[in-house]
Amino acid sequence: MNALRVVIAVVSVGAVSVAGIYLAAWVDLLVGRAVAGLEVRPLDALSAPLRWGAATALKTRTTTERPDAETWALAPALLAALAAVGLAAVPLAPGLLAADVANGIVLFGAAMALVVVAVFLQGWSPNSPLPMIGGYRFIAEGLSYEIPLAVVLIAAALPARSLAIAPIVTSQEHLWNIVRQPLGLPLYLMAGLGLAFWGPLALPEGQDLAGGSSLETSGVSRILWRTAQLLVLVAVAAMGAAVFLGGWLGPLFPGAAWMIVKTIILLVPLIATRHFVARVPTERYVVVSWAILIPLSLLDVFIAGIQALVAAR
Amino acid sequence: MGVKAALARLAAGAPARCFAVVGAEADEIAPWLRLDPELVIVDSPRAADVLLVLGQLDDEMVRAAAGVHDALPPPRGVVSWSPGGERPVSWPFTDDVRVDDPAQIPAACRRLRDELLSGRRASSPDILPDIDPAPWRGVGPFGQGGAGMTGGVPYGRPLAARADDRDGLKLDQILVRVGPYLPPFPSGLVLDVKIQGDVIQEVSIPTPAAVAPDLISAGAHSAGAHSLTGERALFNAAVTQPVPVADIEVARARHHLVWLAEALRVSGLEAYGRRVLKLARTVRPEAAEPVDDLSRWLRRNVSLRWGTSGVGMVSASRAAALPGGPVARAAGDGRDARSLDPAYERLGFTPVVLEDGDALARWRVRVDEAQQALALAQRAGESLTTPIGLVEGPCGPIGGERSTSAALVTMLPELLVGMEWGDAVTTVVSLDIDMAEAALPHDAAVASRAS
Repeated sequence: MNALRVVIAVVSVGAVSVAGIYLAAWVDLLVGRAVAGLEVRPLDALSAPLRWGAATALKTRTTTERPDAETWALAPALLAALAAVGLAAVPLAPGLLAADVANGIVLFGAAMALVVVAVFLQGWSPNSPLPMIGGYRFIAEGLSYEIPLAVVLIAAALPARSLAIAPIVTSQEHLWNIVRQPLGLPLYLMAGLGLAFWGPLALPEGQDLAGGSSLETSGVSRILWRTAQLLVLVAVAAMGAAVFLGGWLGPLFPGAAWMIVKTIILLVPLIATRHFVARVPTERYVVVSWAILIPLSLLDVFIAGIQALVAAR
Repeated sequence: MGVKAALARLAAGAPARCFAVVGAEADEIAPWLRLDPELVIVDSPRAADVLLVLGQLDDEMVRAAAGVHDALPPPRGVVSWSPGGERPVSWPFTDDVRVDDPAQIPAACRRLRDELLSGRRASSPDILPDIDPAPWRGVGPFGQGGAGMTGGVPYGRPLAARADDRDGLKLDQILVRVGPYLPPFPSGLVLDVKIQGDVIQEVSIPTPAAVAPDLISAGAHSAGAHSLTGERALFNAAVTQPVPVADIEVARARHHLVWLAEALRVSGLEAYGRRVLKLARTVRPEAAEPVDDLSRWLRRNVSLRWGTSGVGMVSASRAAALPGGPVARAAGDGRDARSLDPAYERLGFTPVVLEDGDALARWRVRVDEAQQALALAQRAGESLTTPIGLVEGPCGPIGGERSTSAALVTMLPELLVGMEWGDAVTTVVSLDIDMAEAALPHDAAVASRAS
């Protein structure tokens, strides 16, 4: 019975990953067309990611002069694996999760912290200057994302007195964490954008670097890298839905439906930031993160701690 | 084979991905290609199906284009357009698809891409030999191509050197040549940059301007004949003959909007840049509201302000050393050749001047000037400019001893040192350097205008 549950959970996570990646690519296209003042044509745009994938898959995977071929090949797989691990820790419904561990929030945080390794390898391996600058940037920024992310997740775990995700979801039965800890979700989403190097925080892959860490990547590797990046965003949105928006909790519909709706509610604005907010300058963002965002995340955990103490009395 | 055919059929519906190399006389065609639904201009040759070679290239730029070509992953092909259909003797793209009418470029790219992916056309072979750029194997005590641990030139390039960083540490410093086709930079700009991490420590210009003067002067005679807007021809003509003020001012507004579209794209707001490009194509003096809306949006956008405020400071003394132009006016220097023209005096013209001298001020000056240009065009009616031998072009005065673009290129090394890479790119983009203008020697400029 347990084995069947695990199989169902793994298949569900796989399906959510594929659907999430496709949805993210589709939404990105639609928002981009709307902002550009073009006809949106949602149905036509449905096939666009597939067509892009087909055209890219037919291209050769090129190489550069003396790359670190092994780590270059590993980077997209590592990024996808880390995003999948993060997503596996998120329950779609009570008991429906691939990695049912006692400290799921730690597992998610650890997977997201290692994203920095994948992005650095992607930038450093091709032995090319602009991708390398991209890799350096992500190393420089890494802690600015990881610390707020870890701290606000700990704050969200405090009311549940558990590091497992399911108790954190059920602890929001009467009040979602987005209300109880208003600083948590914005800080979490900002950190998530950074870890997915997306939109205003697409620093390792900015247009100023002509594509940066993935500048030299072509063919199937390019597809893998792009889908892995979108999967990180999906994982961030799904965990955000579970930890801050009450996860599967909701009336009338099945828990999984609520979870999917809430994930989409977070995913769409995350994707759309790319078209509304310009890329931020690297060093100034680090300063803002350490001077404002990290102290705010500490304030968030402090408030959550006081609330937990008061509730315990 | 079946899978490949199926993928090729599926891919046929997607736009062709093109990497564009832009030479002389193509600067008024290239930007508009971004509006065409049949193609997408990509930032990296690795992401491209088609190399798009536009305009006239000198031998050095042809060599660089051949290197870019070899970086495209097969299957790949080349589409080329050149004014008058001329190609240099050293033209290396033997199997390129040649287009005579610029309007046919998107369809040609799409057709070529479909033929390549379906296997109906062979991929273009490598042009450059796969050899080291300079002999180095076995040279030096470690076979690294030179003397000492870091003195070698493996693969013909110097190893990373060690140098002090801004925190007093000794860290690796690498020498990188960027250009002439790095997308955020103006086509033709080549810089030798020493970087440490992403901090620029030294900048030099190997060639002041990579676009050959002879090509430019030859092209300047026919400028406008092949272009969509003929902007360069219009401003050049105004040096020696009266032209309608309204035409000049609409061309100025259009130029600034095209520049803004590219600046937004480089800032990460690609879709909004496309919107601005659409606006640039259709801009008219009697319908200036969208430009006013754009100006308001820009003023409200915190993220753009954050990325440009305090970046790339041009001091008042540096501005005074420039012949003029929006960069100088953004640093408090109010010179504008239009102030000398009685036709503009009658229209009540006063130059747009800001004091800050940073990239943000340059953005604002150009957007304000675009608004002002449309207002002037509407008030101007049929009035003509007065030929006084000097015209205020969109990048600076035309007809003087030296172009503003040439002065800006010369200023780059001292301006960029100490900046992070991102700020350096923001700075270069905000200067709006016209490489064709920068390469134009004074004699050739006068000759082309006289014609």
